[in-house]
Amino acid sequence: MSALTAVKQQDGSYSVDIRGWMCPYPKYMLEPLLKKMAGKQKRISLLVDCPSAATDVPDVARKMGYKVPEVTQIGDGEWRIIIE
Amino acid sequence: MGTAVAVFRSIKENLYIPLFKKVWPVWAGALAFAITNVLMAAYARGLGVFPQLSMWGASLINAIGIKTQAPFAAYPVTPILNDSHSMINFGIVFGVLGAALLSREFKLRTDSWRGYAQGFLGGALMGWGTVLTPPCNVGGFGTAIMALSLSGFLMAIGLLLGGFVGARILMWQAKRAISGITIKEEPARPVAEKAYTSRQPVIGWVVIALLFVAVAVYAGLNKPNFGVLLLFGAAFGIIFQRSRLCFAAAFRDVFTTRDTRVLRWILVSLAVGMVGFSILKFKGFIPADHFVFPAGLHNVAGGFVFGIGMVIAGGCGVGVLWRSAEGYVRHWFAILGGMLTAGSWVLLYGHQVGQGWLYSSSAGGLGKVFLPTALGWGGALAAAALTLAAFYTFLTWLEAKKR
Repeated sequence: MSALTAVKQQDGSYSVDIRGWMCPYPKYMLEPLLKKMAGKQKRISLLVDCPSAATDVPDVARKMGYKVPEVTQIGDGEWRIIIE
Repeated sequence: MGTAVAVFRSIKENLYIPLFKKVWPVWAGALAFAITNVLMAAYARGLGVFPQLSMWGASLINAIGIKTQAPFAAYPVTPILNDSHSMINFGIVFGVLGAALLSREFKLRTDSWRGYAQGFLGGALMGWGTVLTPPCNVGGFGTAIMALSLSGFLMAIGLLLGGFVGARILMWQAKRAISGITIKEEPARPVAEKAYTSRQPVIGWVVIALLFVAVAVYAGLNKPNFGVLLLFGAAFGIIFQRSRLCFAAAFRDVFTTRDTRVLRWILVSLAVGMVGFSILKFKGFIPADHFVFPAGLHNVAGGFVFGIGMVIAGGCGVGVLWRSAEGYVRHWFAILGGMLTAGSWVLLYGHQVGQGWLYSSSAGGLGKVFLPTALGWGGALAAAALTLAAFYTFLTWLEAKKR
């Protein structure tokens, strides 16, 4: 449950590392996060380390009308989810 | 040779990959849970993990020199490796660990001290919820409903309310974390992504092999029963880990995000399990009062306390064992919290579970209510099925109203 940082990437997208936040925090964070980043950049990549988030977070994002072009396992128990 | 390779490849693609590489659909987990629970009840008992955790807690308290009884009369303080029922809990840990490693999902997940404190507090609330209800979510709600105990239905009310309160707390924390987010506009240097290979599946096979070694050791000690319960626990562990059938999430999301899918599948699973338990009880294979707990207001109150606890801890009784085995350190604290509060219950309250004023008629207690005794078999099954159907319909309506 450590403090979060959204880091701008070279391509203008933002990356938010929410590893260490168990489920359902990532799912609950999605709406306030996308609201906070609205107008900044449409593409956000999230790093999560809770297995349920790899399916929950894309579900919630899609229901909110976003696209989820990529969910990739990047390490043992870690995933990257891209939301646009 | 070519055929052997083709057979191996086919088994890998059709069995191994769906089981250990892909997430199971929730319905598959729900049905597997029901069937395994009926089979284990036929063999020994239904699933519930907190009475054993309470016994472990009471043992710990005795070990530091304070004499106390375990809260559940059926499970007195016993050395853990000599307690057959504890094998179910160890089996869950084994099974989850094996499944998580095979699917490359294990990670030692440390947390902040706040996370650990919250885990401990959630566990502590679950410990109290367990002794008040009794017992835990999977046992007191799930297995109890399968076993046609009125208490299970009443506990569901408390779990729904407690789950809602817990979810509100988590949502508030999530919102606060986002509002405090730091945004770095200085573009980060691109990090070259390394190709990712995992050794976890190999370790997973070692864990599964060790499980069978433990089974063999108990068989050698002339205690095959211990090994069988270890295997049952492991089967539950694999089912929960792979299908992510989480009883805490099921109640948590009903009134908040109105995601009722998991709970609806759990209700289907209870209906299936109910058929199995009814056959076992009707034919006299297991005692009629197996998993029938005292009913009354204490089920609602206990479910409420347990519901808050399981959500802020991040899993119910089974859930914290499961997450602990996936490497969540927070859940180790939850187990400890649950063990200590439930284990010290007799010291605080002076009686064991089911005894004393809390469960008496003056506090809204009805005693043990086995539905077929009250309503006859036909009436009980009809009432239980209609209640589950009405609950299912309500959940579907609730979710439909969201859109």
